[in-house]
Amino acid sequence: MNDPDVLFVIPALNEEANLPSVIQELRAAWPEALVLVVSDASADGTARVARELGAQAASLPFHLGYGGAVQTGIKYGLRQRMRVVVTFDADGQHDPADVGPLVQAVRDGADVAIGSRALAAGSYRGGIARRGGRALFGLLARLLTGLQLTDPTSGLKALGPRGQELFALSRFPDRYPDADALVLARRARLVITERPARMRPSRNRRSMHGGVRSVPYTFNMLFSLLVAATGRDVDLRR
Amino acid sequence: MPTRQVVVFLALALLLLAVILELVRRRTLRIEYSWLWIAACLTTIVLILRYELLVELTGLVGAVVPTSTLFFLCILYLALLCLHYSIRISHLTHRVKDLAQEVALLRSHLEGPSD
Repeated sequence: MNDPDVLFVIPALNEEANLPSVIQELRAAWPEALVLVVSDASADGTARVARELGAQAASLPFHLGYGGAVQTGIKYGLRQRMRVVVTFDADGQHDPADVGPLVQAVRDGADVAIGSRALAAGSYRGGIARRGGRALFGLLARLLTGLQLTDPTSGLKALGPRGQELFALSRFPDRYPDADALVLARRARLVITERPARMRPSRNRRSMHGGVRSVPYTFNMLFSLLVAATGRDVDLRR
Repeated sequence: MPTRQVVVFLALALLLLAVILELVRRRTLRIEYSWLWIAACLTTIVLILRYELLVELTGLVGAVVPTSTLFFLCILYLALLCLHYSIRISHLTHRVKDLAQEVALLRSHLEGPSD
């Protein structure tokens, strides 16, 4: 595909082992696209490896977490006036083949296109707790805003310019922009759509949402959802 | 209020006021943060010199002993101060995050792509 106006943002924390295969796979499928690896103050050679593989690398001076790292890349895309910014995981979970329909959806007018595990037959969907969490957040998002989403916590997203603008706001939920981000997007009257995406099991054993941290995550997300649903409207139309 | 108490507490309040003004003078404490402290000092001084105001206030809020009114006011003041600082910290957190992202992007621009 010939897409110099597409930027892949890959937030990465100590991913030097996974990056080569992820970036090579990505470059094979999207030779023209720009790839930016945002190293979240990694202790290993994440940024160096990314640069050796021909990607751009941005190194945060200290740890900001997933949301802050992704937002860094989105700000970059916004400044470079990229038509589409795709957020892509560094652990090999996402399949470059699923990105085509997402980019096309943005080119067809969507502001936010989400890769959904639920729409893809035979996709890896995570354990029972994660599936339950996704169902709960999806239900809440629907009750609060009428937004129908099958996979509100997916990290694979394609953003058009207005989507990028929303995600780059200073006060945007920058911990884990999941269901709350989509509720905000909906309230900003952005066009949100879903396409099937097959996820592979993460190659990283220390996944972001796993274990003990899922308890505060759940409460933070519930609160963040309520805040997103009741806070001031974001108006991106000027 | 016994004279001894008046003297001791008045001295303490004036000392605190002097410390705060000195901190502001040395720019260790920013002016906008000093108002809350100066207000607290002045309130204390007024209440020491005019104890009947505290008694009146006690009747107003429905408390029995003036001491409880005083404690109530202190706790309320400290709680509000903490809230004020939480708000400031949240604001600063946003700014620090934005700055860190800016640093990362500028750094990336300087280092450039390798190919």
